[in-house]
Amino acid sequence: MMPNRTLLLSLAALFILSFGLAAWLEPQFQTLSFNRDLPDDFWANLLDDSRYLLANSAYVTADEYYHSGYYPTIFDNNQAFETPHMAEDTGAVASHNSGNEEGFMGPPRDWIDAFGRHFIPNRHTHLDEGGPTDDLSTSSKVSEILPWLKLSAELDPEDVKTFVVTAFWLRTRLNQDNEAEQVLREGLRSNPGNPQLLYELGRVYFESYHNIPRARTIWEAALRTWQAEAPNEPLSERLKPGIENFDDRFIYEQLQVSLANLEQAAGNYQAAIDRWQLARPATPVPQDINLHIKDLKFKLSQTNAPSQISH
Amino acid sequence: MRNIFAVAGIAIKELYRRKDFYVLFILTILICVVMATVNIYNNPDIIRYVKAICLLLIWVSSLVIAITTTARQIPAEREQRTLLPLLAKPLSRSELILGKFFGCWFACGLTLLCFYVFFGVLTASHEHHWPILNYFQAAFMHWIALGIIVAMALLGSLVFAAPSSNSTICFIIAAGILFVGRYLGKVALQMHEPGRFIVSAIYYAIPHLEFFDLRKLLVHDWPLLEWKFIWLAAGYGAVYMFVFLVAACLIFRRKAVN
Amino acid sequence: MSAILKTEKLRVEYKNRETRQAVKVALAGLDLEVNAGEVFGFLGPNGAGKTTTMNVLLGFLQPTGGTASLFGINVNRPIARQRIGYLPEMTYYYKFLTAEEILRFYSKIFGLPNAEAERRINDVLKLVELESSRKRLIKTYSKGMQQRVGLAQALINNPDLLMLDEPTSGLDPLGRMKVREIIQRLKQEGKTVFFSSHELGEVETICDRVAIIHQGELKAVGPVHEIMGQRSNLEKAFLDIVGYQSQSAS
Repeated sequence: MMPNRTLLLSLAALFILSFGLAAWLEPQFQTLSFNRDLPDDFWANLLDDSRYLLANSAYVTADEYYHSGYYPTIFDNNQAFETPHMAEDTGAVASHNSGNEEGFMGPPRDWIDAFGRHFIPNRHTHLDEGGPTDDLSTSSKVSEILPWLKLSAELDPEDVKTFVVTAFWLRTRLNQDNEAEQVLREGLRSNPGNPQLLYELGRVYFESYHNIPRARTIWEAALRTWQAEAPNEPLSERLKPGIENFDDRFIYEQLQVSLANLEQAAGNYQAAIDRWQLARPATPVPQDINLHIKDLKFKLSQTNAPSQISH
Repeated sequence: MRNIFAVAGIAIKELYRRKDFYVLFILTILICVVMATVNIYNNPDIIRYVKAICLLLIWVSSLVIAITTTARQIPAEREQRTLLPLLAKPLSRSELILGKFFGCWFACGLTLLCFYVFFGVLTASHEHHWPILNYFQAAFMHWIALGIIVAMALLGSLVFAAPSSNSTICFIIAAGILFVGRYLGKVALQMHEPGRFIVSAIYYAIPHLEFFDLRKLLVHDWPLLEWKFIWLAAGYGAVYMFVFLVAACLIFRRKAVN
Repeated sequence: MSAILKTEKLRVEYKNRETRQAVKVALAGLDLEVNAGEVFGFLGPNGAGKTTTMNVLLGFLQPTGGTASLFGINVNRPIARQRIGYLPEMTYYYKFLTAEEILRFYSKIFGLPNAEAERRINDVLKLVELESSRKRLIKTYSKGMQQRVGLAQALINNPDLLMLDEPTSGLDPLGRMKVREIIQRLKQEGKTVFFSSHELGEVETICDRVAIIHQGELKAVGPVHEIMGQRSNLEKAFLDIVGYQSQSAS
């Protein structure tokens, strides 16, 4: 009995050692161009379609880490956490949370339930807002969600939102613009021309690198891809309000609004007004856009006034 | 007590002279060190996922050690006939059971100490702080849970003939309680009678090992738990240990050992 | 002489697990007395009830009826075993321990003070000639050496009563001689030895009294010469008492 167990444990040790070695060597293989596609094939061969399930699980774990472990299980009221919070801010997904997020467990059912709650995370907190210690100086701990996002992206590289969310946190909370750009480029390798990834990449260039021409080029490319996705469908049809085309409308609006802001920042007020006007059919708040246009028209008139005088 | 500690000493010696613990400990170190060296977007301070994996491995390893070590104690004594010269001494059967229990439990405590010291060193190397009291709370609660499991496995070793079947059943029960024990009450509410009654009865009868699992609090740097809850949980655990041990003593008292 | 080992109407029945009916009577009202200072041979064919009697005396088995006592104390009480040493017929010791460690462990159970324990460990290891191997793990010992560890553990508490179950079975001639010498030596020291054996020649030479048991019943008990009567050796007496008839005779 004993030799069998030792043998099994030794085999397990060798197995783990092999995996460990593989995990250690993998990044080095990545630097070799002829091996760039290895991870996709690797996970696909190893896990087949179950990798999508695992990818989703890793993505949800990232959200759980964002809440420092305060997270519902399949037995709890999941409605409270229908949309991963960490993804909400990024604009990658629309918010669907509607339950009582502060108390998704509900009132204690019995003394076992009540007593057991002392030994698990029992308060709704966000890592970038101080976490369970409410210490804002620890907000950089939000980086702790990254390993799970990285794993999720490796398991399912076709899931665009994972790259978007990862890039968002790298850029906005961790000031890692280069890494954010790398993540997005990695996403674009698996999803060429994806408007959402291009939109985020444009944000990196516009908001972080302040490279207006490059950002404009990227966003315009994103719009072209967006249009190419349904070349025969009239724009009015595509932007018609409705829940089924929410994401489609949302990315179009984001791109047009971002281009409008970019043109405004570049001093191209007329171009900015044109972009706001293009954004208007897609937005649920056209009155806000009208205000922008009004404001820009005023600025344009101010800019043009001296030239009119010179005429 | 002298006899109990003499028997316990043998169980402890057995554990550290066998290779199981060393293999599991080295495996845990290897996996954690490899995981800790993975580059996550040039963020060298990311550690929580390593903490989670390390604690998971510690729990799995400790369950393996506790259950397999305990489950084989009495059956091995019977099979190898070492029980005969032992019980021919002025040693009562209850003392033997208690000695085996304390031996396995203390041995598990020693292995936990090694594992948690490694965990502390690993996390301190990344986090640059060492919340010793939090580690102590987690390790202590973990040890109490192992006490319940050791007592349960010891009782099982007197009920089931083969150590392997006892080990398997103990693993399933321990893992089942850790995963779904907390939710059985909720599940029962959604069932019809008599299932509802049965599941409710199980919910109230089982030792809720999940109380003792503080991994999430440790991984996510939650503040220290109030000590009164730790002692209450320890008392709760002690009740289950007592119940299992009394049952084991009653069964073993009249069991023929030849 | 006072009886230090005594059984009265000792009865052991093995029952069917399902029906709870007695399927075999292992001991049928055994009355036995062993006096202090004698070497007592307990004889019987296989399945006669020798080991069952030993098991009851050591508390391994609960009797169905009757009582058994050691030094006047009921065998169910652990303290009854404080002054005895026991060597099972075939046994294995903790293979992950050394001879020294196992003896230290048993001496703790007997409650020997540390200094006394160390002295006894040295004495018994010397007696069984295992001094040079005392720090080796038992798993590296030969069968004969393991049997000697068994004898050493039976003697660790300097027992007043030594119970040996087939002590020479499986030993080579030298090993048997050694065991016989030890029994003789203990007899000279005034110890009581109670042992079961199939080696009737051995029993004849070293025992003061013998008891012969057959099918759970005591067939004869008394000094060796009385049991032998007019017969030339104990083996013939034994065969007559258990009612053995050779096929050639029939």
